[in-house]
Amino acid sequence: MGFSVNDRLPVPPVGCEEKNITCEFCIVGCGYKAYKWPVGTQGNAKKNALGVDLSVQQPTYGTWASPQMFNTVTDRDGSKHNIMVIPDAKCVVNEGQNSARGGNMASTLFTASSPTRDRLKDPMVYGGGSLNRTTWNESMDLTARVLKKIMDNDGEDQVAVKMFDHGGGGGGFENTWGTGKLFFSAIQTRSAAIHNRPAYNSEVYATREMGIGELNTSYYDTELADTIFVIGANPYETQTNLYLMHWAKNLQGSTIDAKKKEYERGETAKAGRIIFVDQRVTPSIVNAIELAGKENVLHLRIKPGTDVTLMNALLTYIREKDWDDSSFIKHHTQDYEKTLKANKTSLSHAEKVTGIKKADIIKAAEWIAKKKESGHRPRNAIYYEKGIIWGIKNYENVSSIVNVAIQTHSVGRVGTGVCRLGGHQEGYCRPPTPKGMPDRKHLKVIDKLAAEGNYLAFFTWGCNPFVDSIMGQQLKTSFTRRSEIVRKAIDRNLGADNATLADAIYRACKYDGGLFIIDADIYPTFKSDVAHVQFPAVTTMEMNLTSMSGERRMRLSEKVVDGPGTAKPDCLIAADIANHLKSLYKKDKNWTMAKRFEGFNWRSEEDSFKDGFAGQGAKMDSQGGPTGVLATYDLLRKAGNNGVQLPIKEVKNGKLIGTRMLYTDNKFGTKSGKAMFKPSAQPSMPAQVQRQIDKYEFFVTSGRLNEVWQSNFHTSRLPLVKERWPIAPVEMNPEDARKKGIKHGDLVMLYNDYGSVRAVAYVATTVRKGELFMAFGFPNSPVNNIVTDFVDPDTKIPYYKGTAASIKRIGRVEDIANGMSFKDRI
Amino acid sequence: METKQNSRRGFFKIAAGVAATAAAAPALLASEKSQTTNGAYLEYAKRKVGSLAALKSSGTLDFSYPDADSPCQAVYVNGEVKAYSILCTHKGCPLMYNASNNTFVCPCHFSKFDAQKDGQMIIGQATTELPQVFVKVEGDSIIAYGIDGLVFGRESNKLG
Repeated sequence: MGFSVNDRLPVPPVGCEEKNITCEFCIVGCGYKAYKWPVGTQGNAKKNALGVDLSVQQPTYGTWASPQMFNTVTDRDGSKHNIMVIPDAKCVVNEGQNSARGGNMASTLFTASSPTRDRLKDPMVYGGGSLNRTTWNESMDLTARVLKKIMDNDGEDQVAVKMFDHGGGGGGFENTWGTGKLFFSAIQTRSAAIHNRPAYNSEVYATREMGIGELNTSYYDTELADTIFVIGANPYETQTNLYLMHWAKNLQGSTIDAKKKEYERGETAKAGRIIFVDQRVTPSIVNAIELAGKENVLHLRIKPGTDVTLMNALLTYIREKDWDDSSFIKHHTQDYEKTLKANKTSLSHAEKVTGIKKADIIKAAEWIAKKKESGHRPRNAIYYEKGIIWGIKNYENVSSIVNVAIQTHSVGRVGTGVCRLGGHQEGYCRPPTPKGMPDRKHLKVIDKLAAEGNYLAFFTWGCNPFVDSIMGQQLKTSFTRRSEIVRKAIDRNLGADNATLADAIYRACKYDGGLFIIDADIYPTFKSDVAHVQFPAVTTMEMNLTSMSGERRMRLSEKVVDGPGTAKPDCLIAADIANHLKSLYKKDKNWTMAKRFEGFNWRSEEDSFKDGFAGQGAKMDSQGGPTGVLATYDLLRKAGNNGVQLPIKEVKNGKLIGTRMLYTDNKFGTKSGKAMFKPSAQPSMPAQVQRQIDKYEFFVTSGRLNEVWQSNFHTSRLPLVKERWPIAPVEMNPEDARKKGIKHGDLVMLYNDYGSVRAVAYVATTVRKGELFMAFGFPNSPVNNIVTDFVDPDTKIPYYKGTAASIKRIGRVEDIANGMSFKDRI
Repeated sequence: METKQNSRRGFFKIAAGVAATAAAAPALLASEKSQTTNGAYLEYAKRKVGSLAALKSSGTLDFSYPDADSPCQAVYVNGEVKAYSILCTHKGCPLMYNASNNTFVCPCHFSKFDAQKDGQMIIGQATTELPQVFVKVEGDSIIAYGIDGLVFGRESNKLG
């Protein structure tokens, strides 16, 4: 790191540039304000853009920029600017509060002297042993020529792609549309997979097929719930300000007045209670006890993989007690009796399978279903996330929860909802997948097929499959081997023109088992070791981006600075590829193919927005739905950090009017319009996971750390993470640690039939004996190396959260052991 | 200063003045904190903030530095005096010291900082470690002479 000022910051002057930013990290989507002013100018303590008197100490919760909220940047015209990015006090999502992630946004900006200095700046092509900087034209021309050969000779499906499909950092409706249009309506490949899973699939087919979209409520409504039910999630660390702003208020009783206003007349309104279903003791649970009191927090410490049994027992018991909403069930649902019969589970059986005491299951049932003193039914906000989605079997895990939600009428009523908590923000807007794409049960598991030697070209776009997919280690080994075949072919043709080079690459792929690898990203990663072409993209604050949050709140996150080098928005990279292919097909006079690549004459990300989200409405798969066409950048800019909750209802007096909650009319997304119960049997342990359990000592689960985002691309470069988490920690019960002779800070290795991974030992009572918890998303210690290749046959979603491994002590690396704190995180 | 969000239940059982009873952790490497070595610092007034003997017997020492609006606390850990600003670097809530494990804890948003690791955030929503007050011991006097890190609620550690 360069020279730094440690105890003061420049102040933004009155009248400086001020932009709205939506946090690029988690789905909660907090609002931030970005201030930009030329280096050499600044405000003073009395007169400044923050509008506060900085000559005095600001109060608790007052306006403040930490050093991580400040940066200096150089725009492409050479001008230097100060940048300050602070949480927006007027945003209803976060009311001026930041998380550890969002509060670091300014630090993630590219500057030549900062930890982000290694951002990708120009396109790169491989040759002579390394990737070399080049022009957009050369790299695009080579890519298009190879793709064309493959498409013409071997078909579109030989071009595989693994790409982001979201609206958080770098995503947005703009880029999701741009890449979607390239791959689905222009190239038309069916060999696609999503950033964090090995196929092109939904994580929530179950709830959608039951007629309930996965983001159906609002954060405000969670403030009004009697009971918040959280299963397979740790929101203090992963949806921070939903937990700290909205749930905390409810649990502390400060929303009782709002409840009285919103509830029915005479209905009991008290401080909220919260139920957690988790095999670990998480910070979310421990902090909830501080907020709500022990008597208002119920932790059901479940055995791994048994969530369905718990939910089925609740379903059965609630029916037995006559606590279900019979009127709602009768008029607005279907298949209840069938599901009750199929899912029948006794409390004793559930206790045996889940390890949760009967009395606690009964207590949970009472909290979510037993009528309140006033005779009204409790209002439940039911939330699930990766512990369920990436659990033993994705489909049943989700459907068993939604069954109980429908039974207790926890959808479409004030203070209710049954939602995924979500990871990143959303921004789905793409053409339908090409004709012939298999249904969810027959989808191809692309990453596995690629590891096994299939496909001729492979795009890795804004994601890192070597950290975030199944069988990480095999994937790495296979890509390295296949990349090398192509690299050797290129090296035999150094100096050749692109036509000759493309031919050599094609032959290496077609006849020698090579794989042509094209990467689009913002940082170098392991992908740079295998790619033949690499395109540099820009991200949040470097372009205008629209996306929606976990309560469907859509905002325009504005461009503040220029991206590094010649990097550009993903949608324009996609358009560039399409335009190069179009011109090659035109040269061939192949007008049919040339036509497929039309419609990419975009000069800015706004053009992609107008073509996709605002241009297509219901014609495409868009989270904006038919009324998405009402949105414009101008209207969204006016709506600021509070934006509009999708779907848009109308534009009234120049203002976008949105929708707080879905299904308030009890019309659900099924053919009959009724919410559909689904029989959901307890899944058995997948054979390949069971083999690991039989053979290795510990059950291993994984999850997120508060400070680490996705594949740690930005966050690993921040001092906060660099010093705190130099490699992934593995939490181990003190008794197990003693037995294995492992101490805090020891370098350990976890291994099983699928691979091995190194980690730093963190001895903690948060995990039970025989179980390990390892942090997810570290490229330098990816837990997915030891994840099996199991996917739910019905959805192709992996069981990332369950594997088994043995652990051995390697020794100590003092730099790691001494730099980190090993104190309790709960 | 008051916090907006008070716990519904009492948060900490540890009253100020309870002696630290935790066994000292193994000595730390001197070079563990690399970030502070090449920065510019303001000039601060040298000031005696307390007595070493008193700190050793009570475990903590409250003082303010560089002015009355900046509450700080010195603790005796790893056989040395460490001193920090105790305004949380998240939203400025006053931190509470947990002597049983030498951590500073935020009662508002549950951030935790390690007094034995130069104020490293163990978990929480702040974006930086705790600002550390440079102190030296002369005889029985603990003398503050500077701050590394920006104190919450200020654009400069020296107001005005």
